[in-house]
Amino acid sequence: MIKFNGVNKWFGKLHVLKDIDLHVTSGEVVVVCGPSGSGKSTLIRCINRLEKFQKGELFVDGTPLHDHSTNLTKLRAEIGFVFQQFHLYPHMTALQNVALAPINVRKMKRADAEALAHEKLDRVGLADKADAHPTQLSGGQQQRVAIARGLAMSPKIMLFDEPTSALDPEMIGEVLDVMVKLASEGMTMCVVTHEMGFARQVAHRVIFMDEGSLVETGNPHDFFANPQTDRAAQFISKILTH
Amino acid sequence: MMLFYFQRLIEIYPFFLKGLWMTVAVAGISLVLATILGLLLGLVRASENKFLVAIVGVYVAVIRGTPFVVQIFIVFFILPEWGIQLDAFPAAVIALTILGTAFICEIVAGGIKAVPKGQWEAASSSGLNLYQQLRYVVIPQSLQTILPPLVGQYVLLIKDSSVVSVIGVVELTRVGWVTVNRIPEGLMVFSLVGLLYFSISYPLIRLSNRLEKKMATQQVML
Repeated sequence: MIKFNGVNKWFGKLHVLKDIDLHVTSGEVVVVCGPSGSGKSTLIRCINRLEKFQKGELFVDGTPLHDHSTNLTKLRAEIGFVFQQFHLYPHMTALQNVALAPINVRKMKRADAEALAHEKLDRVGLADKADAHPTQLSGGQQQRVAIARGLAMSPKIMLFDEPTSALDPEMIGEVLDVMVKLASEGMTMCVVTHEMGFARQVAHRVIFMDEGSLVETGNPHDFFANPQTDRAAQFISKILTH
Repeated sequence: MMLFYFQRLIEIYPFFLKGLWMTVAVAGISLVLATILGLLLGLVRASENKFLVAIVGVYVAVIRGTPFVVQIFIVFFILPEWGIQLDAFPAAVIALTILGTAFICEIVAGGIKAVPKGQWEAASSSGLNLYQQLRYVVIPQSLQTILPPLVGQYVLLIKDSSVVSVIGVVELTRVGWVTVNRIPEGLMVFSLVGLLYFSISYPLIRLSNRLEKKMATQQVML
């Protein structure tokens, strides 16, 4: 579903992704972790080309992203992206946020798109907040609207970039619950997160990145119990003891 | 004597109304054109194409850095060089449009850049094309920043339109000049001219202030 072949990226002189090889299959849930500045956000932002890369190949659902003639708009419609800071449209209600892309990209009739949006809001537990504006919602609620917005496009892949990092602790659970449910339904997911409970519970694979390299990959049980590299071991001890 | 001139002035009021109408026509047409062109150039100026950004930047700098009266003479005298004979009215509209576009383009670009990058990313991530991103996500949010100074700019442009009198457009200021030759009460004549400008500008100033307040409260609500 997602295939990185020797992907390299530089920000100016800074080498932020170094020879990334990674293959994510359909239905797989991959958690990407690592210290800040390790390139994990950049990695998943490459998957829908929010970031360009200079070298290597990347195929997403068979579409070559290294090819500059690729129709990004079409590709992005098939990939949901959830941001750390939600990025809901502040001038629209929750319902309008969710219905916007189905109306304009999928060319759905307004009534159908709104019915769909109600269904997706219901799925994230916010059926009663359809008419609220983002500022009237808590962080956790905003992030769930953002997830509903992604799901409304019936994406083949959902990408999450630190979806709970901007939330107050008591709101993290409600967002993770939605993600766990999504994973159990077979969605292909790449999640950048430090929520190791989530990784243990639903990830098929954990990927550890450091300084732009993919250092270690394994199933969550082995990764946490038995890290193969010192850097991963150090990282795990830090996040588990803090 | 003053009373006499005042009565003369009242008698020729249709002349002033014609001047007022000409000012409204020159400024009005230019404002519409400058708004459309300013929006387009503002989008270019806020884009990531460094080459186009620089070109628009040069245009804006030249227009802002030269007096309008010089610009209008250049427009008025350069076109005949190329074999195009223009009346004063279209020349005035062209010059005022060029001036207004430069300022409006900067206002629009500022408003668009004030929209957080995350909004663009969210919109493009959900598959909206560039036009849809602008139309539904970015422009509605940037209007908050754009509208109050835009209306303020309209007021400035209406006042700047008095300069087109130098190439012989018989608008309000020109009417004042011509009248002073017949009614030698300069203060009286130009007070009337000023009052008529004010009658167009003041409603717009009020509108700009109201928009500013409304946008400010809306921002809190959003």
